[in-house]
Amino acid sequence: MKSRSTIKGLMKRHPRLSQLVIVALCLVMWEVAARFFVDKMFLSPPSRVYGEIGRVLGTKGLTQALTLTLYEVSVAFVMAVAIGMIVGLSVGLNDFARRCFMPIILLLYGIPQIVILPLFILGLGIGPPSKIAFGVTHGIFPIILAIVAGVQGLKPVLLISARSMGASRWHILRYVVLPHMLPSFFSGMRLGMTGVLLGVLLAELYVSTAGIGYFTGLFTQNFDPTRLLGLISILAALAIALNEFMRMVERRFSRWRGND
Amino acid sequence: MSASPALTNKQDVCVHIQNVSHSFGVEGQPKHVRALLDTTMDIHRGELLALIGPSGCGKSTLLNVIGGILNPTTGTASVNGKSVDGPMPHDIAYVFQENALFPWNTIIENIRLGMLFQGVPKADHEGRAREALQAVGLSEFADHYPAQLSGGMRQRAALARALSLDTPVVLMDEPFGALDEQTRMVLGEDLSALLSRTGKTIIFVTHSLGEAVFLADRIAVFTARPGRIKEVIPVEEPHPRKASFMTSDKFNGLRNRLFDLLHDEIRKTVSLTSGSSGGF
Amino acid sequence: MSAPVKATLSADQHERRLSRLVQLGFVASLALLWYLATNVWGMSPLLLPKPQNAFEELLDILRSGEFWPDLLLTLGELAGAFAISMTLGLAIGFMVSLSPVFVRIFEPLLAGVYAVPIILFLPLYVLFFGLGASSKIALGATISFFPIVLNTIAGFISVDKLYVTAAKSMGASPTVLLRHVLIPGALPIILSGLRMGFTVALLSIIGSETIASLSGLGHRIVNLAESLEIARMFAYIVFVIAIAATLNSMVSRLEASRSLDK
Ligand SMILES: Nc1ncnc2c1ncn2[C@@H]1O[C@H](COP(=O)(O)OP(=O)(O)OP(=O)(O)O)[C@@H](O)[C@H]1O
Ligand SMILES: [Mg+2]
Repeated sequence: MKSRSTIKGLMKRHPRLSQLVIVALCLVMWEVAARFFVDKMFLSPPSRVYGEIGRVLGTKGLTQALTLTLYEVSVAFVMAVAIGMIVGLSVGLNDFARRCFMPIILLLYGIPQIVILPLFILGLGIGPPSKIAFGVTHGIFPIILAIVAGVQGLKPVLLISARSMGASRWHILRYVVLPHMLPSFFSGMRLGMTGVLLGVLLAELYVSTAGIGYFTGLFTQNFDPTRLLGLISILAALAIALNEFMRMVERRFSRWRGND
Repeated sequence: MSASPALTNKQDVCVHIQNVSHSFGVEGQPKHVRALLDTTMDIHRGELLALIGPSGCGKSTLLNVIGGILNPTTGTASVNGKSVDGPMPHDIAYVFQENALFPWNTIIENIRLGMLFQGVPKADHEGRAREALQAVGLSEFADHYPAQLSGGMRQRAALARALSLDTPVVLMDEPFGALDEQTRMVLGEDLSALLSRTGKTIIFVTHSLGEAVFLADRIAVFTARPGRIKEVIPVEEPHPRKASFMTSDKFNGLRNRLFDLLHDEIRKTVSLTSGSSGGF
Repeated sequence: MSAPVKATLSADQHERRLSRLVQLGFVASLALLWYLATNVWGMSPLLLPKPQNAFEELLDILRSGEFWPDLLLTLGELAGAFAISMTLGLAIGFMVSLSPVFVRIFEPLLAGVYAVPIILFLPLYVLFFGLGASSKIALGATISFFPIVLNTIAGFISVDKLYVTAAKSMGASPTVLLRHVLIPGALPIILSGLRMGFTVALLSIIGSETIASLSGLGHRIVNLAESLEIARMFAYIVFVIAIAATLNSMVSRLEASRSLDK
């Protein structure tokens, strides 16, 4: 009992450190499992995966595939934000439009888009366009929903009060609507980024003749878990970095909400 | 000029309200509400007019008409000789009943933003904002966000924003509603002093009888909905008023008079609502 | 009293009818566009089949009943995955929520992992579990675990401490507290976590069937795409979307009704 409570006390005082310890413990468990319990053909220890990241990146064509994926994600993200903004604003700013189209948008958002992936590939080929398009269709819905929600919640008295103080249309857009929307806009962007990543990666994994999907297929068939895990770790690190970045931006713009 | 505005400025009308009526919704529809009925009134320059009446009688509606936020169904309002058909940011500052501070801006940013909207040169913003904050006693909270202030502090901040706009007319909808009676009176004293200095015309809504008597030059008492002015009571007492006024017989006499007038009307609203079951 | 209510309703109904009309018009014009593109403007049937052909295929699929094995497999995988993730998610979420310290430490970790597109691990799961149902179940369980566990934590910590204190001061035992205060308070958020978990489980199972599989609805669609039987593929897509929409709306309705109970 005593020791438990001291551990808890430690955790309470050093939450960051405890998180690190937990992650480290997981890695150690993985290491032990990979070294002593699981067949080398299926799992390799993290130390080896880490040590051979260089070899993974050295695989012919893999860096190009990674760069291409990053490029697809960026283009898809920009497109999803642009289209999502336009659709979100035009649906969100008008009561009737919202009533008409929100159910349709929600319905579309709810369908498992993966079933139309083969169509994208048939229509746009196995190159970047199909992957970008699939990323866009995944990223766009959370962005639309966030913008619609963001536009909606504005208290009318703020608009009225701004107008009574002489605010022009531009003033209202710049100093009232925009700051009001920013937090939900950024959380929409973050969710949109998650969606874009999912869409692009799904398409990448689906196409097994080129890109990331080719390499995961190759490493799987060769029973080469070291390189497979290495590649997955690189992609996961990329995803975490992008997400953390979006969270930082989001926090920066919603400071005023805190402290209450 | 500050001594007794009600007497000296008889002919100098600042806000003129002529046969203003307002209804919400469409006649015959269930949501139709007659909020204000045929109201005519002159408010003189430098005068402080209090509006008092039962909840829902149309006080905010009248302020909105004067502030150019609401087009009355019939009748007209004019301010400084100009007929009102939209906000007049250079003539009128409005302190809303609801909290209308921008939550994403600090208090001082809120005040500066008001001046930016109104078109005050940038160079003047800082000085005037600090001055206004000083006037409401919020200097130390300049860099707080509205969410970090109490309800009463938020109201004072909104008041500071309105004062910083330096308009001849200020409309205040229950500006001290969230304040305790004591702070309310102290702020009222300050406001009375400020008024005698600046000669602003102020129309304010209050539910506090004492506040109305203590601050106002005249008090317009409204009937229950649809609101009409039932009676206008003059308070002939020069500004700035001292706290000692509050304990005078005159003060108590006026206060009791107000109470009698209001009591009947409030009875009406209360019984009205319970009678028509779910009018709200 | 009753007359005004009726009148407001009818005004509201009018709005609703109008928006329904616009929705119908929107869908109808899409259908018309599809028809025109394929029948009149001569779009290649390899990209877009004629709607009438796709419809015939759909009828054929439904009549022949050939979809049953695939459907049952997919639904079975879904049930397995969801059962696992629900059990683990609820249990772990509840345990974490027991102490603010645990919440501070584990919640960010779980949320951090959730930010990784877990579909990335699909190749790994295929390596471990092969191309059969178990890799789908494992992946579906992993992906749906996160929204469930995160919402379970959020649900329990959202219960106002005041209620807990009040209940305790009235002498509520831990079981009573859990049964009558914590669970009812947390339920709406937990239910929405379960709904999200269900949706992503379905998504990831069909997804992994599409990417790496030998059977199941997702695999069937890929097969048809590869053999360029586009009309039949379309019919299957419509079929799967209909199934998914039905399941999702069933779960949403369940969520809504349970939340309203409280
Ligand atoms: N936007 C609106 N739409 C419909 N009815 C309204 C609207 N605003 C006000 N009303 C109605 O008009 C009447 C008068 O409202 P108003 O806000 O002027 O009251 P008030 O005198 O300011 O009350 P309070 O003292 O409670 O603030 C109310 O009964 C209300 O039901
Ligand atoms: Mg009011």
